[in-house]
Amino acid sequence: MTTTLDTPVASYGGGRPNALRLILSGLTDIWSRRRLTRYLVQADLSKHGADTILGNVWWILDPLLQMGVYVVFVTLLVGGRSDVANEDYPLFVFAAILPWKWFSSAINDSILSVVARERIIKQVHFPKIVLPVAATVSGIVNFAFGLIPLVVMILLFYRDRLAWTLVLIPLVAIVQFAFTLGLAILASAINVFFRDVGNVARHVLRLWFYLSPALYSAAQVSKVSANHPEVAVVFGLNPFSILFEAYRAVIYEGRPPSWAGLLVLLVLSLALLAVCTYVFKRLEPSFAKVL
Amino acid sequence: MTVRAAADATLPAIEARNLGVRYNLRLTRKTTVRQTFSQALRRREGPTHFWALHDVDFQVDHGESLAVIGPNGAGKSTLLQVLAGIIEPSEGRVTMRGKVSSLLTLGAGFDPDLTGIDNILLAGAFMGIEDREMRRRLPDIVEFADIGPFIDAALKTYSSGMRARLGFSIATAVDPDVLLVDEVLATGDQSFREKSRQRIEELIAAAKGIVLVTHDMHWVTIFCNRAMLLEQGRVVADGDPAEVVALHQEHMEASRLAKEEEAAKHRLTGVL
Repeated sequence: MTTTLDTPVASYGGGRPNALRLILSGLTDIWSRRRLTRYLVQADLSKHGADTILGNVWWILDPLLQMGVYVVFVTLLVGGRSDVANEDYPLFVFAAILPWKWFSSAINDSILSVVARERIIKQVHFPKIVLPVAATVSGIVNFAFGLIPLVVMILLFYRDRLAWTLVLIPLVAIVQFAFTLGLAILASAINVFFRDVGNVARHVLRLWFYLSPALYSAAQVSKVSANHPEVAVVFGLNPFSILFEAYRAVIYEGRPPSWAGLLVLLVLSLALLAVCTYVFKRLEPSFAKVL
Repeated sequence: MTVRAAADATLPAIEARNLGVRYNLRLTRKTTVRQTFSQALRRREGPTHFWALHDVDFQVDHGESLAVIGPNGAGKSTLLQVLAGIIEPSEGRVTMRGKVSSLLTLGAGFDPDLTGIDNILLAGAFMGIEDREMRRRLPDIVEFADIGPFIDAALKTYSSGMRARLGFSIATAVDPDVLLVDEVLATGDQSFREKSRQRIEELIAAAKGIVLVTHDMHWVTIFCNRAMLLEQGRVVADGDPAEVVALHQEHMEASRLAKEEEAAKHRLTGVL
């Protein structure tokens, strides 16, 4: 080894870097450690269903069965009134369940992602932010697998709804990814300090799902909100109003989504991501001490 | 934060200035919101934090190998964690010059559901080693671990000995400038222990600076040309290994005697 070689110099302690620098370092961490993210995702996926008989088939069965439950439930509840249960209701519901499963599993997995790696966090210096990122990325694979039964369903039962707009699904998914990532990063960090996050998230997610136009359409909401303006506010603030409507536009109605809404949501999501990355990076130095 | 600078053998490999690590006792271990509330409501009783390290000031020059000794809870492992960048110092500053590698507890972060090979690659990714580099070292790691066909089996099927061998083999498959070693050396069967001891000796010979935390005074005198005694988070002595070890043993003996005396006193008062 000669002295002309570059030597990495690492320095710890002394002063707190400013917010912008923290956010940037968080984002560089995510990018420069993408290999680690990939391995974590692979590990997660190879584990998933490794001890079940059907294995990865569950990725396809899960959303289908969930769809079945909701279809039965809503049909029994409203007795097939066409003003409530929309036309081609199974497809209508499926278009919302699929992205929701990605969102809820990404949040739930992220919450545990940091605390589950307690041992290595205390032994190796690495950017912890890759852990919630990996949990969120894993969900994409499930989401992609869920597109298989979706397309099959359309081809078999809803031929007339088959449209070119299906290829726009990834664009909507990008917006959802940006939104999910910020929340996932935040939730994973807070759970290190308060282990209640998982319990809270379970109920919040459930409530959130029912408050979003998943089982019903936005048009039905506007009917209700004519008498109750506060309903309109709740739906206006809910990112999943925009997301579900967009998914449904490209999958179910065969028309392009409302780009303006998606664009606004994307910008807000990136801002949220920046804030959550900042919070994560601020809390990160304490992880090894608190865990 | 890592910046690149030209290597300079005149600069110390490790520089620790006024190092302090403070633990917040309210935040340790699995708090829930309820506990935090009840703590906030209760009067502040007792200490809210303690210093695991305080005013620690030292440097390790090129070619030096420093042993850190001291009783349990003196802050030895915390010091290594700070040097490795795992814990941020609450006070002071640490500068590490060179590629740092830490042999802390073996097999941390192993994933029980992955195979041995996958665990090697995952560990490399955690340590920040380039994937190409890691794949290049893979045959060596596998050979050194010497666990036969198990390398392709899920880690949960391993015996604890096999786990330790693989962990050791991964941790030492590096050529660091600065090596941090926690007492992890006595693992596996006799022949592997011999092999691992040899590997450590090689690493120590190759590294530019070493910090070794150990309870085994034998290791201190064999491998280190300097020793530092930590007690209750402070540096009590720093210098010639034989002298510092002697001082440590003296202190241990004294505290043992004090404890015995205390116990005897209790017995006496029990009788009276």
